[in-house]
Amino acid sequence: MKRILYVILILIVPQIIVFGYITHEEKEQEKEMKLVNYTMKADRLNKKVVDHTKFEVLQQDFERPQDVTLACLSCHNERHGEIMANNHWTWDRNENLHGRNEMISVGKKNILNNFCIGVAGSEKTCTRCHIGYGWEDHSFDFSKEENIDCLVCHDQSGMYEKAKGQAGRPVEGLNLNVIAQSVGSPERANCGICHYWGGGGNNVKHGDLDKAMNDCSREVDVHMTTEGEDMSCVECHVTENHNITGKLYALSSENKNRITCAQCHTDRPHDDEILDNHGIRVACQTCHIPVYAKANSTKMIWDWSTAGRLDEDGHTMHENDADGNHNYLSIKGNFVYDNNVIPEYYWFNGLADHMLITDSITSIPIQMNTLEGSYNDKGTHCESSACSKIWPVKVHRGKQPYDVVNNTLVQPKLWSPQKGDSAYWLDFDWNESIIAGMNYLDLPYSGEYGFVETEMYWPLNHQVSPADKALKCVDCHTNSDKGRLAELKDFYLPGRDRFALIDNLGLLLLILTSLGVIIHGAIRIVLGRNCIEDNKKS
Amino acid sequence: MKVYIYKIFERFWHWTQAFLIGFLAITGFEVHGYFELFGYKEAVIYHDNAAWAFLILIVFAIFWHFTTGAWREYIPTTKLIKEQAAYYITGIFKGSEHPTNKLVYNKFNPLQRMIYLGLKILVIPVMVLSGFAYMYLNYPNITFQLGSLDIVAGIHTMGAFFLIIFVIAHIYLTTTAHKPLSSIKAMITGWEEMDEKEAREMVISEMEHGLKKAKAYLATDTDRETKSKFLDEALQETEDKLGVNKCEKFRDVVANSGAGYFKINSDGMYKEVNKAWANLYKYNSPSDVIGKHYSLSRSDRALKQLDETFEKVMKGETIEHGIVMRKCQDGTVGYHTITMTPWGTDGKILGVEGFILNVNPKNAAAIQWDNK
Repeated sequence: MKRILYVILILIVPQIIVFGYITHEEKEQEKEMKLVNYTMKADRLNKKVVDHTKFEVLQQDFERPQDVTLACLSCHNERHGEIMANNHWTWDRNENLHGRNEMISVGKKNILNNFCIGVAGSEKTCTRCHIGYGWEDHSFDFSKEENIDCLVCHDQSGMYEKAKGQAGRPVEGLNLNVIAQSVGSPERANCGICHYWGGGGNNVKHGDLDKAMNDCSREVDVHMTTEGEDMSCVECHVTENHNITGKLYALSSENKNRITCAQCHTDRPHDDEILDNHGIRVACQTCHIPVYAKANSTKMIWDWSTAGRLDEDGHTMHENDADGNHNYLSIKGNFVYDNNVIPEYYWFNGLADHMLITDSITSIPIQMNTLEGSYNDKGTHCESSACSKIWPVKVHRGKQPYDVVNNTLVQPKLWSPQKGDSAYWLDFDWNESIIAGMNYLDLPYSGEYGFVETEMYWPLNHQVSPADKALKCVDCHTNSDKGRLAELKDFYLPGRDRFALIDNLGLLLLILTSLGVIIHGAIRIVLGRNCIEDNKKS
Repeated sequence: MKVYIYKIFERFWHWTQAFLIGFLAITGFEVHGYFELFGYKEAVIYHDNAAWAFLILIVFAIFWHFTTGAWREYIPTTKLIKEQAAYYITGIFKGSEHPTNKLVYNKFNPLQRMIYLGLKILVIPVMVLSGFAYMYLNYPNITFQLGSLDIVAGIHTMGAFFLIIFVIAHIYLTTTAHKPLSSIKAMITGWEEMDEKEAREMVISEMEHGLKKAKAYLATDTDRETKSKFLDEALQETEDKLGVNKCEKFRDVVANSGAGYFKINSDGMYKEVNKAWANLYKYNSPSDVIGKHYSLSRSDRALKQLDETFEKVMKGETIEHGIVMRKCQDGTVGYHTITMTPWGTDGKILGVEGFILNVNPKNAAAIQWDNK
């Protein structure tokens, strides 16, 4: 008995202690979130410092919206300079596109995408989202102060609205007096009117910017939810002197003026070293935006090549899918929408290239905005100052017209107020519309067009899920085909990758050893029994 | 017969290591994506913790091996390696005897030595180093970094397979001892059950160690002009047979074992005995015996056997004798085993010397009975 106790004490107790030590986990307590540069809503003093209703200059019946702008500038008499330097005004920026050693002027003004392709020739409708009045064509005067539209961003009455096809001018009959007196810091609806609705419909382009986010649950967006912090856009997109931080790589190319999660959450936000270390190579968004387009669908595929089908009477058609989203429009072709979409994952280091209208097509599908990065880009001595991280990306796949002979993308003219102006959306003649569009840009067109597959990449940043909905280890560390990183194959990922040779050889040896042991043992048992029987006989 | 063969630390180390290797294998292969058991995150954390625990254990084990001299048990030898391999391939099925015996200071057979040494100096270090690289060198925020995890992970996986295969073979081979479970029991209690022959070998081995001890004494004694060439040869033979080299530890062991040393000249007179010898024969001091004839050590009946042995040894043989009964000064009797070997100079035999090792009367009876 004493012996048994002794054995237990010496041999079993240590194992229990070791096991306890190994599997010991600190109980997860409700730990306070690490936050910097941010004051929680509950701790804020919400007091208006200016009441615009009391300014005399605003108490007039404005005839033109430009008069409101002039009234604003009568006090904020240097702000127009800030605005005129802003991309929201210029739709243009001089940037160093990755892989090209020259500064190139790119922006909404001239860059092509695989949604509505480009604004050139159709400005009058597209500039409904320009923060100005009257950008109809090349002749727009970007230096004229009164053309700045202050109200689209600062209106807090909810009454302000820009008109369709009117080059950014507001609809008729607005009470500009009331609207002007309502002004304040931009709210979600101000930004959202363009950023939700870009591409011609709600949540069409981004997939993570949706009108639902004006009033959404925690599940949709843990930051903007009205159930919680109720954050507006500018609380992250911190803005000083109208320099709005944050950028989107549908248009941007350089790694500057970006917003990071770390600006509030720090770069070591977890109480877990392994997770924090993941942040060195994995963007926060990757785990914390497990799906996008949570409240409304977003457009995943746009095929222009089927556009132009008209009904028997020559009228345009539209067909919807089961969820009520368009899947065919005569003017635009076929679409595929989807919601609760699982992102695709790419290495990304903050640098991007763009397919310019003057570039030759070298590979298909064409990458409209190539996100740069790879596993081997680890920062120092590499292409970027910061290392590439794995990012969740919405990939929008398209099929759009190109010049078969010149091997370039083309800009068709899509919109016009009246028929007979070569605008595709009214005349349905691709060749005419491309001639008109390329003429407008003063670019060559061979006269032969075809349709080419394109991809456009939208790194995801919004619709962050609550922590408990974040990705789990096995979502990536798995060899299942459904693993989130199943396609990102340029590096060794534990749990996903293995060397077939080592594993197969190892398993083979394991099986052979086991078989060897079983056979060896069996022979011993059989021969041993025979010997005993022999002995008994003799 | 049971022999105490594994010390407390050895057993603690062995089982803790066994547990940790098993646990590391399970969590490791979960991380490798083979199955889901603890959950991926938990598996990673447990694997890391177990690795640290293993590392601590390794530090203690290294310390233990060097302070106790147990590291010598892993010195590789090719002696009997073929025989050992042949035993596992064919001999074991025919009921042959083990070609090597498990002895207190020579626990491992040549194959074990090779495999265990391989584990200690190759597999474990490789696993530790690749494990550290796996944990710390994969992020770009440190000076030295790996291009990719793949090589490290590949090596670590290879090592893991090797260890698992080792464990399977190791567990199976424990069943090849005296009885299928005696090795495992020994590793739990420290006492290994051996058959009678093995036990006798143990005794002989202790005596051989005694001889070694004698040599150590001879070397340190001041007025010993000539070292016994014969003893040297005998020791060499022993060393060769066992595949071990000289070990400092024997000195203490022999002292504790109570082995008695004696040296007799060609006339049969005691030239020298040590204190242990005198104690066993219940003399007050060695000087009471020096110069007297060896016949005082036996009863009349048993003396004849001793005479025969003496004559044989004087002719150059080394004799390892089984249990004999001695006559003490006060007329009582005791039992011991005896090893006798010639000594001399320039190849001329000048007398005999050797060791006697006390045997508990109870065991002596049993062994004598077995012999008959």
